[in-house]
Amino acid sequence: MKKILEKLKKIDRRIIYLLVFLSIIIPLLPGFDFLIFPVSPTKETKQIFDEIEGLNEGDAVFIDWAFDPSSKAELLPMFEAFFKHCLKKKVKVFIYYASINGINLGKESVKNITAMEEFNWAREGIHYINMEYVPIAADIRIFNMDVDFKGTYKKEGKIFEGVETLRDIKYMIGLSGSAYHFTHVDMQIRFNYKFGIAVTGVMGPDFVPYLQTGQITGMANGLRGAAEYERLVSDKYERNYYGSATKGMSSLTFSHLVIFGFVIVGNIVYYMDKRKRG
Amino acid sequence: MDLKAVLDNIFLNDVFVTWVPVLATIMIMSFLYRDNPLYKIGENIFIGVSLGYGWILSWEYIIDPFFIMPVNDMFVEFHMSDITNILWFLLALTMFFRFSRKKAWVANYYFAFLFGYMAGYYIPIAIQNIMLQSTSIMTDLDKGSFFETTKWIVLVFGTFAALIYFFFSKPHKGLLGKTARTGIVVLMIFFGAAFGSTVMGRVSLFIDRALLLVDHPVQSLVCTLAVIIFLIIYFRFFKKDDKTAEEDFI
Repeated sequence: MKKILEKLKKIDRRIIYLLVFLSIIIPLLPGFDFLIFPVSPTKETKQIFDEIEGLNEGDAVFIDWAFDPSSKAELLPMFEAFFKHCLKKKVKVFIYYASINGINLGKESVKNITAMEEFNWAREGIHYINMEYVPIAADIRIFNMDVDFKGTYKKEGKIFEGVETLRDIKYMIGLSGSAYHFTHVDMQIRFNYKFGIAVTGVMGPDFVPYLQTGQITGMANGLRGAAEYERLVSDKYERNYYGSATKGMSSLTFSHLVIFGFVIVGNIVYYMDKRKRG
Repeated sequence: MDLKAVLDNIFLNDVFVTWVPVLATIMIMSFLYRDNPLYKIGENIFIGVSLGYGWILSWEYIIDPFFIMPVNDMFVEFHMSDITNILWFLLALTMFFRFSRKKAWVANYYFAFLFGYMAGYYIPIAIQNIMLQSTSIMTDLDKGSFFETTKWIVLVFGTFAALIYFFFSKPHKGLLGKTARTGIVVLMIFFGAAFGSTVMGRVSLFIDRALLLVDHPVQSLVCTLAVIIFLIIYFRFFKKDDKTAEEDFI
């Protein structure tokens, strides 16, 4: 026992890295598909889904893309699931890039989705529009319900028919890995738009108080939030909309189990060592 | 053939877009074993490419449409409304006075405007926000179910206890001490939850890389072997000192 304790105390951190690495990579390997399982959706993620489900054909949705490739792992699957859902519902999608480093990633993703057989009917300027980047000051200005939406973004297209100001946007969702969307939450009090959020796991807890007050209508938290959304869309439309988030969830689960294991072992070793020393 | 086509041929072919991301990922991951030149090369390339990419995008999406084009248009045909643009440009240019020690105060006009504008915009909203957050907690305790009601009590009492922990006007003894102790437990639970979310976020980042490696198995195997061989040769023949991996971090 004493020997095991000593060994565990001096365990090389590289062994921990290796085990975490294996727990992540094994569920992703071909032949291990049985380890992939859809997650059960939480109330917060379902709120976003229900908001989109409640929209009619031709209603407008605003996506505020405020992340760059560094947060791609958690937020891109969420964007993809959300965008597909919007196209399924035939709502107009306005995509605005608040992060310039994310513009090309966003456009590429939109291009890939609209190239899919199921969504190749969607046309830019009619069913969706990439509204590029407008500096933050103008971004704040669009929250004002009376400012010309089209004029701010200097864009043209049939999609703008019936969408003049933010008042005509039925739902806004922000995707970010930073505190950027606190501005949107604050502005929501004044301008009273419906706002949902998809954030990285790190930022999730910071936005929870706004859910309780109703300032945010729905939140997808991290990779899990994206996997939940993929499941909701797949269940509703009885098609396979599972993407990289669902695939990654089994890796996430197994890696967490390994980390939990090490935390528990670490604590046991710590207490035993403490007791031994008196 | 123009330069763009040449660059596209070099950087957008299948070999480049599959091998380079895999090799770069493994080069960066080699740090988990020990600090080494491959990691340093990967790190420097990443920083250089990120900065270059950011600069090109800034030019394309900020400087060109919001500065170069309006100035160009102004010279082609001048409108009275362009005076507003000129004023903004002048205000922005005052930033460069920061380089002069004697005239640095001129830049204060820019900051005064910026802070004034932002404060004016945000202060009323921030107050409204605080009020809404505070009043939302003062609701009917009967939430319909035992779980919801208990949750609300824990939330209210937890917030109060956490605030008491930071109340230093009286010594933390008796009831005050016990409440402060509960407060620190509440804070630790929050930090634990935040840490859990951070771990989830970090693992998710690696999952993205792992998906890339799994999608390109041949490239992953070849690059991993190449990196391992390099590490063996490097640490066997070129870096023979006894420095431990832990010391590399310092």
